[in-house]
Amino acid sequence: MTQHDTRKDWRTRAADTAARKEAAAPLFAKGKEVLAKDTVALLEAVIRAGDVINIEGNNQKQADFLADCLNQVDKSKIHDLHMVQSAVPLKSHLDLFDNGIAKKLDFAFGGPQAARVAEFIDNGKIQLGAIHTYLELFGRYFLDLTPRVSLVCAYKADRKGNLYTGFNTEDTPVIVEATKFKDGIVIAQVNEIVDELPRVDIPGDWVDAVIESPKPFFIEPLFTRDPANITDNQILLAMMCLKGIYGEYGVTSMNHGIGFLTSAIELILPTYGAELGLKGKICTHMIINPHPTMIPAIEEGWVEAIHCFGGELGMEDYVASRPDVFFIGPDGTLRSNRAFAQTAGHYAADMFIGGTLQIDKYGNSSTATAGRVAGFGGAPNMGCDPKGRRHPSGAWLKCGEELPSLDSLTGSVPRGKRLVVQGVETFGEGRKPVFVDELDAWKLAKSANLDIPPVMIYGDDLTHIVTEEGIAYLNRCKDMETRMAAIRAVAGFTEIGLTAKPEETKALREAGIVKTPSDLGIDPSRATRDLLAAKNMRDLVTWSGGLYNPPARFRNW
Amino acid sequence: MTNWQNLQPRSFLEASARDRAIGLVDEGSFTELAGPFDRVTSPHLELLGDAVAFDDGIVTGIGRIGKTPVFVISQEGKFIGGSVGEIGGAKMVNTIKTAIDFHDDLVAKYPDLTDEEKPVVVISFETGGVRLHEANAGLLAHAEVMDQLQKARGKVPVIAVIGSKVGGFGGMGFVAAATDAIIMSEFGRLGLTGPEVIEQEMGKEEFDASDRALVYRTTGGRHKYIMGDANFLVQDTVEAFRKQVAELAPLPVADFEAMRRIGSPEKVENQLRLVALAAEMQPKDAVDVWAKAGNENAAGLLDVPFAEFMSTVKRLSV
Repeated sequence: MTQHDTRKDWRTRAADTAARKEAAAPLFAKGKEVLAKDTVALLEAVIRAGDVINIEGNNQKQADFLADCLNQVDKSKIHDLHMVQSAVPLKSHLDLFDNGIAKKLDFAFGGPQAARVAEFIDNGKIQLGAIHTYLELFGRYFLDLTPRVSLVCAYKADRKGNLYTGFNTEDTPVIVEATKFKDGIVIAQVNEIVDELPRVDIPGDWVDAVIESPKPFFIEPLFTRDPANITDNQILLAMMCLKGIYGEYGVTSMNHGIGFLTSAIELILPTYGAELGLKGKICTHMIINPHPTMIPAIEEGWVEAIHCFGGELGMEDYVASRPDVFFIGPDGTLRSNRAFAQTAGHYAADMFIGGTLQIDKYGNSSTATAGRVAGFGGAPNMGCDPKGRRHPSGAWLKCGEELPSLDSLTGSVPRGKRLVVQGVETFGEGRKPVFVDELDAWKLAKSANLDIPPVMIYGDDLTHIVTEEGIAYLNRCKDMETRMAAIRAVAGFTEIGLTAKPEETKALREAGIVKTPSDLGIDPSRATRDLLAAKNMRDLVTWSGGLYNPPARFRNW
Repeated sequence: MTNWQNLQPRSFLEASARDRAIGLVDEGSFTELAGPFDRVTSPHLELLGDAVAFDDGIVTGIGRIGKTPVFVISQEGKFIGGSVGEIGGAKMVNTIKTAIDFHDDLVAKYPDLTDEEKPVVVISFETGGVRLHEANAGLLAHAEVMDQLQKARGKVPVIAVIGSKVGGFGGMGFVAAATDAIIMSEFGRLGLTGPEVIEQEMGKEEFDASDRALVYRTTGGRHKYIMGDANFLVQDTVEAFRKQVAELAPLPVADFEAMRRIGSPEKVENQLRLVALAAEMQPKDAVDVWAKAGNENAAGLLDVPFAEFMSTVKRLSV
C-alpha cells in the first residue's frame, strides 16, 4: 500500500531555487542572457548569506568577471559565504574574504595568492575547511560540499544556455553537474554569445544564466616553459631520468609535472632518447597539458595519446591539427577535462615525475613554505601509489618487484607500484638547499593552525630521487635506515648531503640503490644545450610548422 | 678550448662572450688581451662585497679575418647583465685606442696599404649600459668609449654586432648608435631606455615590459632593420654574423661613412624627417610604421620565417 512520507516536503531545495530565480526573473534580457551591467543584481537575487558558492577557476582559465561582481554585492545581505573552488589565484578571490562577503574556504591550489591565504587564516578572515587535491575536492562536490550557486566560465554560449568550453573545458563539467543535479544555480560568464555553437560542452538546461563579460576571461599560460632558460644541469638530470628510469623501467605512461626538468626531458627525447633507442618504448601515453615543449617529440612520432587537464594558450591550432594524438571533438577542437585527466593520472599512468622545493631526510616533500598556503593542485593525486589500481603493466610490476618489504604485508602475492619521481637540483630556487632536516611545512602548519603539515608527496609513495649527484632508487631500500642513507648519498653539499658516509654510499652504489652519472654510463660533459631539440620559442614554432602561436610574453622576435 | 668549427653553426644568441669573440674572426686567429688570467677585476664590486669576474664581463682581443686585423670587444650578459663599469670600460677604450694607434703606425710605415689590410673594430654588445654599482666610473667609461669612437672615425671602422640575450641598451645603446655599421639578428634588441625602465617611469599602459612580443617588435632586429637603425639583419648563427663582418671588413672607410645613421648634417636631416613622420602618424604600434614603409601585410611580417622576411620586407625611407 502507499507509504506515508514522514517528511512533509521533499522539494525544499527546488522551491528555494525557484524563489531565487523568480527574484532574478526581471533581469533576463533574452532567453537566458543577462547583461553584464545586471550581473551584480543577478548575484544579489540568487545568492543568500551562508551559501556554498563555487567560482570556477583553476590554474588556467578564470571566471574573473563573476568573481569581481561577487565582490560588489551588498554585504549586509550577502555574507558568510562558504567558497568551495579548485583554486584561489586571483586577487578578487581573496578580496571576498577581506570584504566580509565570504567566510569559509575549501580549496586545492592557492598559487600567487598563497601569502594572503596564510595571512587571512592567521587573522581569522578565512576559516579554512581543508586543502585538497583536485579529485578529492571534486569528490566532495558530490558528497558534502555541493555548491548552491556556481559561477563558471566558457568561451561561448547561445541564448538557450548551451556552453562551448572547448579547449579549456577543464573543471566546468564537474562543477555544473554537481551543482545542477542538486537543484543548484549555474551562472556562466562567456566571451561571446552567439546563435550557433561549434559544439555543446554543457547542455543549456543545466545552465540558468549566461553573461557576455566585458573582457575575455583571464587565462594563464602556466605550462609554457621557454627552452632558452633550460640549463646544462637540468639537461644532465634529464639524461639520467631517461636512461636510469624511463629506459630502465620501460615507462610508457606518465604525467609530467610542471617545470624546467620535465621540459628538458621532453626536449631531449628526439635527441638523447632516440640515441638510447627508446622511441616507441617510453612516453607513448601521457596525461599532460599541451606543453609546447612536447612539440618536437610529438612531431618525431614518439607519442600515441595525450589527454589534457586544460588547454595551454597558443597551442589551440597545433593540438587541433594532431587529432591522432589529442582528444578532439566532432567540431575539430580539443576538449580538456580535469576530472578525467586527474583520474587517468591517478589510476592509469605508471609514473609521475615532478619537482619540489624541499625534501626531508625521510623522503617526504613539499612546496609549502612558512607564510604561504599554496596547496598542491593535482600533484598528490599523481604523485602517489594508487592503492585501488588493479591492472598490471611492465613498469608498474618491475617497480613493485624491487620493493624488498612487499612481502611484509601481502605475503607471497605480487603487487606493482607506481613510480613517483622527484627531480631536483640539490640547491634550488634562490640557492636554497632542497634537502632539509625538517620541512618548512611544519612551521606553516603551526602559523596557519593546520592539523597536519601540508605534505605534497609522502615518503612512502616516493620511489626515486634524481639530483645532479645521481639517482636514489628508494623503492629498492629495505628499511628507513637504507632509505635515509640513499637520500643522503644524492643530497650533494646540503647539510643532509654532508652527513653521507663514503663507505655507506659505496655499498649503496654496489647494490644498485644509488647510481651516479658514471654508474649510469652518462658523460656529464655531454649535458649541454646542444642536446635540446628546440633551444628557444622560435624553434618550437618552426617544429610546429607555424601552428604554435606563443603568447606575447614568450616571443623574442 | 672552444672548437671554432663547432662554434660556427651554433646559435649566436646562445654563445658566450668569449665564444663570440673567437667565432667572429678566422679560425685560430683570436688572441685575448687583458683576459681572465690577468685578473683585472673591478675594485668597486670588491668594496661592495660582491663577486667579481676575472674578465669583468668583457672579452677583448685581436684576431684576423682574411687580411684584415680585427680588434674585438665582446660583452657577457651573464655577468651583472653585461653592465659596463670602470674596468670593462677601460678594456673597451684601450682596445679601440690600440686599434687606432696600430692603424696610424701601420699607415705611417706602409703608405700603400690596401683598405683590406687596415684594422677594424668589432663590438659584440650584450649590455644594459652603466653598471650601477660603479655609477660615475661607469658613466665616465661610456664617455671615454664615445671619445674613442670619434677618434676612430674616418680611420678605423667600428662595427656593432647585436644578437645576444640582453641586447644593447642604456648608455651602450648610444655607443652602438655611434658605430659605423650595425649588424643584428632578429633576436637582437637595440634601444636606449630599457623596457622595464620605460614601464617603471611611464606606466604599464605606455609600455608593458612583460609583453615580450611588444618589446621585440619595438626594439628587436626586425624592427630596427625596417627602420634603418640596423644596417644588416642576419640569421642567428655565429657563422652568419662572421660572414657579414667579413663582407664589411675590406671596405674603404668612405663606405662605412655611408652606412652611418648619424654624424653629418644630412644624416641629422634624415633623423629629423623620421621624427616629423612619427609626429604626423602618431603610430600606436611598430607595425603601423611597417605598413607606412609599404609592407602590405605588416602584422604578418612578425611571424614569417627569416628568409621570407628578408625577401619580402620593405624598409622605411623618408
